[in-house]
Amino acid sequence: MLIRVPLSWLRVYVDVIISADDLAHRLHMSGTEVKGIERQKWDKIWVGRVAELSKHPNADKLTLATVDYGEGRRKIVVTGATNLKPGSTVAYGEVGAEYVDGHTGDRMVMKPKDMRGIKSEGMVLSQKELGLGEEHEGILLLDDTLPVGAPLSEALGETVLLLELQPNRPDCLGIVGVAREVAALLQQPLRDPAGDPPGKTAPNGLDVRIEDEGNCPRFAAARLENIRIGPSPEWMQQRLIAAGMRPISNVVDITNYVMLELGQPLHAYDLRQVKGGTLVARQARTGERLKTLDGIDRALPDGTLVIADEERVLGLAGIMGGEDSEIRMDTTTVALECASFSPKSVGATATKLGLRGSSGSAAARRFSWHLSPDLVPSALARAIQLLREHAGARHAGTVDRYPRPRALTPVRIPFAKFARHLGMEVTRDEAVAALNGLGFAVSEDGEALVARPPVARTDIAIPEDLIEEVARIVGYDRLPTRVPDGPLPLVEAHPREEFRERLRDALVGMGLQETVSYSLIDPAWLERLTADGTRITPYPLTIQNPTTPAQSAARPTLRASLLDTARRNLRHRDGVAIFEISPVYLPRAHDLPEERWIAAVLLAGAAHGESWLGPARRYDLWDLKAIIDGTFAKLHVGDLGSAHVGAPGLHPGRSERRGPDERTALTWGQLDPRVADLWELPEETFVGELDVAALLERVAPPQVGPPPRYPAAIRDLGVVLDETTPYAAVLEAVRAAGKALVESVSLVDLYRGPQAGEGKKSFTIRLVLRSPEGTLTDADVERAVKRIEGRLLHQHGATIRT
Amino acid sequence: MPAGAADLKALADRAVAEIAACPDDAALEAVRVRYLGRKDGEVTQATKKIATLPAPEKPAYGAAVNEARARIENALEGRGAALRGARVDHSLGEREDLTLPGRPVRIGRLHPITATIRDVSRVFATMGFETVEGPEIETDYYNFEALNIPPGHPAREKWDTLWVSNPLGDDPKKPLLGRTHTSPMQVRIMEQRKPPIRVVVPGRCYRYEATDAIHESILFQYEGLAIDEKLTMADLKGVLYSFARQIFGSKSNVRFRPDYFPFTEPSAEIAFSCVICEGKDPHCHTCGGDGWIEAAGCGMVHPDVLRRVGYDPDRYQGFAFGGGIERLAMVMSGVPDIRLFAQNDLGFLENF
Repeated sequence: MLIRVPLSWLRVYVDVIISADDLAHRLHMSGTEVKGIERQKWDKIWVGRVAELSKHPNADKLTLATVDYGEGRRKIVVTGATNLKPGSTVAYGEVGAEYVDGHTGDRMVMKPKDMRGIKSEGMVLSQKELGLGEEHEGILLLDDTLPVGAPLSEALGETVLLLELQPNRPDCLGIVGVAREVAALLQQPLRDPAGDPPGKTAPNGLDVRIEDEGNCPRFAAARLENIRIGPSPEWMQQRLIAAGMRPISNVVDITNYVMLELGQPLHAYDLRQVKGGTLVARQARTGERLKTLDGIDRALPDGTLVIADEERVLGLAGIMGGEDSEIRMDTTTVALECASFSPKSVGATATKLGLRGSSGSAAARRFSWHLSPDLVPSALARAIQLLREHAGARHAGTVDRYPRPRALTPVRIPFAKFARHLGMEVTRDEAVAALNGLGFAVSEDGEALVARPPVARTDIAIPEDLIEEVARIVGYDRLPTRVPDGPLPLVEAHPREEFRERLRDALVGMGLQETVSYSLIDPAWLERLTADGTRITPYPLTIQNPTTPAQSAARPTLRASLLDTARRNLRHRDGVAIFEISPVYLPRAHDLPEERWIAAVLLAGAAHGESWLGPARRYDLWDLKAIIDGTFAKLHVGDLGSAHVGAPGLHPGRSERRGPDERTALTWGQLDPRVADLWELPEETFVGELDVAALLERVAPPQVGPPPRYPAAIRDLGVVLDETTPYAAVLEAVRAAGKALVESVSLVDLYRGPQAGEGKKSFTIRLVLRSPEGTLTDADVERAVKRIEGRLLHQHGATIRT
Repeated sequence: MPAGAADLKALADRAVAEIAACPDDAALEAVRVRYLGRKDGEVTQATKKIATLPAPEKPAYGAAVNEARARIENALEGRGAALRGARVDHSLGEREDLTLPGRPVRIGRLHPITATIRDVSRVFATMGFETVEGPEIETDYYNFEALNIPPGHPAREKWDTLWVSNPLGDDPKKPLLGRTHTSPMQVRIMEQRKPPIRVVVPGRCYRYEATDAIHESILFQYEGLAIDEKLTMADLKGVLYSFARQIFGSKSNVRFRPDYFPFTEPSAEIAFSCVICEGKDPHCHTCGGDGWIEAAGCGMVHPDVLRRVGYDPDRYQGFAFGGGIERLAMVMSGVPDIRLFAQNDLGFLENF
């Protein structure tokens, strides 16, 4: 959570004896992240006074304000604001001044503007335009005692530290908590403003009751009478503004001030509106509603902790009060609530009602963290003190219900443990001093240290917590760097991952570019992978709260991602050859999904462009086949088993699935041209999908002998066959008949035409025959060729061409 | 001289003369076929004729055929060598324009995310860390609860979560999510193994987060875990220092700053010294001007995490760390926007 800490406010509690930049660095390096230092430059912005107001002659909603800003300087500005009065003290920006645009938040430079015929020379500025907060409803009205004509930076100048707090440090939500850090770092004393606990006198006509102790462990309230509502003192308003809050009235400002000072939110009720005089912390009942301070009438979801009187809901506990019981100008008696709520309950309710986050409720953001219940009495006492001083209040008793106080157990740590975990020596004195500086009560117990954390801290429970406290004050910079020794574990084999990476390298070696795309996709994509919209995969896992519908399904296939990548690239390229290796997510009942690693390949468009060495060439089916076969050869993937022509989403006659029926190991072929059209891809687009684990099962490590010693005999064979006889059948027959002599077979020509005959095709196959035992004689070769020819004739009705 | 032998001599003379006149290899081959061709070559014909002669004539005629063949073969070889020599001499005089572009070929490349994951695995392997992987879709238990982040814990706001629904039915007791970090593998590994442990876990993670130039909702991380009886924060710093030196060069350095993670105590944020500006450019886009690149989180594994997997925290201790893969790749290659990695524009990927 980002908080603003005005340096002048911080200095109330601790002497900052170093520069703001050095302080920021020390805080940052000790664990309080500093996001930035804000300094108001406010060049050409002055304290001004409204001398005259008049209506704009040409526009009802605009006003002309004549502003004095000292030494007789006077300018007319046009403004839409309605809160100006003659004599108002304002921030006046000259032409050339820098300001924050009230709508966009951009930094702007002021220019003279013609507004409906009147030239506006400069601006009177809102809180937001000055960069002091979010308020842009009206012009910021300044303390009338500020000297007119003074540069605003001198009158109001402030340096603000922007701190990004971590949720384990709710104590730093109060500036006093930050001051405690500073005190420890600079070894300066802390001036804690927390007042003495309020007396135990029970108030008349005010009580509190906890009905849900789990979500409200502590509930206190004070009765304050004789209150005069009015503005809070100027110094308080300025601190609130500098810290990013809008001043409202003394009572509300004081609750906010104490919240910013100590971290503990408080809420003030007009006691007239508390029916029966008892504040009850309870669960909302079904059907209850509340109109909150922001004017929204809300239905209260189940599980909402509310503060109610005996009749109705008054507020959302720890989040926001109701309109009914808010402080009004005529309020005189106040019930001031100071309580402890469970982070889980407040967080969940604030999330449901959209009041979480930086634009939500400041109290809810704080209560979503584990605030110390021990802040309750001191924050209440502090608020009572300020109400007496600045709202004329008379304190008429306090009630504090805390049925099960938390144990403030000291933490014990042997001194030796610091070095054992940090790997550096920390002396006893250093450890004690660091913890004392942070407000721990420290004692020594033989070889151990015993430390009780300050009551505002809720993050210290175990010795390791003390190690971090000491180390961060001593400085992590002091940690040495060591190379760990000690025993190393046995390392496991990872055949699947290893194979997957070799597959990646093989595909790269084939000239393909690897892509890595989003694993969450648009579920509509899955209905565009076949011509008729039927799915090629099971229904995917879906995201319940997607950031965008385009990333709302866990992809069960890589195909859609690849088609999308190809489509986007082919808008400005003539060809793509890409692959992705990633898991796909396949739902399983009552279990995590299967994350099945798939390698998917896509080829489309130009294999290579036109060059001086030859014409362009487009990818075809045989490029894909060569990539797959080449990869298998390189990785020693053996026969995948049964093959089926046609695969869903692919061209029915130019695609194939291979592998056992229950698990396809390989799908490859031409994308169904109708699907290609849906994705704006070339009609001839080729995809292959390889199941990594299924391929690995078919890997046979090569058994490698010495290279051949005897020469090979090479013979070409012309074979005319029925069109329906596949090449693979020919190959099988050749190998079966030629036995061990057939070293390799290649297809050097395929002819279809009149010389082959109707319904026929003619292969020219080149046989490489070799024997490991000796040079083959012409007779050996002739015998083998005859056997092969015989087999082809007998099995496939082939005619041998001569 | 027997009948026919004179004819053969004349034939050889003619052939040798023709061979000498051959201007190139093609002409030479034509002459060879004409005289020595296997079917119809003139010398071949003469050879076949030997069998038809009366026995007494055979030896003399045969010798004449052989002599003719030998002369022709010699001449062929000599002329062939001469032609080759002339061709080579000519070729040596040629000067090619070597600035012409080569034949178009596609060059395959790994995606930078893969390449960076491999770098990370390789570097940690030098320090004895084994690369392991784990599920991207996880349970709330492993992603949060086992790491000291029970439901409603305020620290959950650091990891805004994408919740996953199973089409085969959701189990309200075991909600699924896209893992928000690789840290659940700390728990899974410790459940499966006994110390000593040294592993590094690269993988995809998910966040419910608006994307911008430095944030992605689908991203890659690496996680490290080392457990034995004596590992300290100084060992952690040493491991990450070694890592930085191997990834960014021997001049690089690491800085530790206190940070908060519920599953480590003490915890630290790791920054690497800026390799782009070396801390010298106050407007450096990579480090923002302070010379340090905040790159990872780390700390000593929290005793409650150890206890939950059945390790005795009085005996075993160790450290864990985790950082962003894209962040590393961005620093190494100067990529200005994290979203470029998933866009897969080939023009972009071809630069790696």
